[in-house]
Amino acid sequence: MVEARVAQLTGLYAVSALGRGVDAQLAGVLAGVAAFGPVGRFDTAARRVTVAATLPEVGTLPDELAAAIDAACQGAGLDRAQRTGCALLLAVHGGPASGVGPAALASQLAARCGLSGHTRVYTSACVSASTAVADAAAQITRGDVERVVVAAGYLVESDQFALFDAGRALAVDGAVRPFSAGRRGLLLGDGVAAVVLESSAGRRRGVDPVATVVGWGRAGDAFHPCQPEPGGSGLARAVDGALRRAGLPPQAVGYVNANATGTAQSDAAEAAALRRALGGYATQVPVSSTKSVHGHALEASGLLELVVTALALRHGELPVNAGWLAQDEACPLNVVTNRPQETEATHALTLNAAFGGANTALLVGVG
Amino acid sequence: MHSDFAPVVVAVAQRCLRRGYGAAGVPAGVRTGIVLVSASGDLASARHVRETVEAGGRIGPLFFFQSVPNSVAGHLAARWDLRGPVVCLSPTGDPYTDGVAEANLLRDDGDADEVLLILIEQAPDGPTEAVAVLLGGGARP
Repeated sequence: MVEARVAQLTGLYAVSALGRGVDAQLAGVLAGVAAFGPVGRFDTAARRVTVAATLPEVGTLPDELAAAIDAACQGAGLDRAQRTGCALLLAVHGGPASGVGPAALASQLAARCGLSGHTRVYTSACVSASTAVADAAAQITRGDVERVVVAAGYLVESDQFALFDAGRALAVDGAVRPFSAGRRGLLLGDGVAAVVLESSAGRRRGVDPVATVVGWGRAGDAFHPCQPEPGGSGLARAVDGALRRAGLPPQAVGYVNANATGTAQSDAAEAAALRRALGGYATQVPVSSTKSVHGHALEASGLLELVVTALALRHGELPVNAGWLAQDEACPLNVVTNRPQETEATHALTLNAAFGGANTALLVGVG
Repeated sequence: MHSDFAPVVVAVAQRCLRRGYGAAGVPAGVRTGIVLVSASGDLASARHVRETVEAGGRIGPLFFFQSVPNSVAGHLAARWDLRGPVVCLSPTGDPYTDGVAEANLLRDDGDADEVLLILIEQAPDGPTEAVAVLLGGGARP
């Protein structure tokens, strides 16, 4: 019998203001204590908002990415020789990162980490990393490649901070309150993550996969350069795609790590998308946005959130949606507040949306 | 205006779509993805932001709304009802080859029926150059 090709997550690593490594990420999102504080990395005197979720002792983006890739590969049990031929999909901001352009950064990382397969760099704003994961899963399941490393990084820096501040996107009350009444906007956060996605090769090496990416979807709103379509049609089609590829009904989804940034219109549009994609079940499935604790890691957000979603699902407790004040009637969802929720669910969605009306949905399974 | 990045993207893309579909636009039900490939990105705007931040100044809000290449892709998507995925890449090899590979993946994987591929480079001291190609669509010039 021919074994169906799957895209298993065999190695994970992440760094954020919650700490270093997967244990720190899981503990942080379950504790539900927001990691926002005054930015000391650059001058914020001219800004309306002066807080973000930053890790105090952080290296350069290239160094942090290289360390994350090495750690994920080690977690997957890949020695240097086994990384040969492995592809690298990288998600970073399109501008120069630490003085080096994105393509050069990808080339340097591949050389440093021993990955000699093809490289691709995604600069699709806040769906960069999740698009890379979807592409990696597609390439693996259709048999193009055996193994892909997806890496993503954003470390809070002065230029993007100034832009988000100028756009009045940052929460002036210093808290991210996804789906909650009284939400004021997003806050930025550090995020560097890497995952190894592979076919059943991991199992053949004796590695127990953390989770499997069983479905994915990418779709556009066709609505506005920066604002989401209020009815959530594009994001709903991305969720539809993820469920269709997995061959699962909405009721199989036991948790949604929402994109929800804490922005008024975006969170309401996402609630509408869930209603459209999941029907009445949208009011029952537990939902939270871990951006409420680790902040918005922009190009890296999709990978950091995939990591914490897979970890939480495997652990059996669902992350807290921090910053909650009260229900907003525009977001009629079952939001996980106050404390982590125990679960026996085997599947979870992690959603991302970006400028340009770009939407992605990743469906992960455990067990 | 600090940058011609977005206007040039719009100009080449609209010319391409008009040749492909004329005034009728993309047929209903066709999911057109957008793949925008650029090594430079919006260099002129990024430089303005860098210089303003360096000098301790405040940036105009418009720069936030056009701070990533997704924005102009979203503008095109809204105007032409392009409902496929939006993907922006920084090329690691030949830009056209990179873009076609991504477009083929989106089509073969089933999230797009066709892809509007846009290549754009903004030189520091030279003209901005861009190309748009519609890949996989039923209609052709």
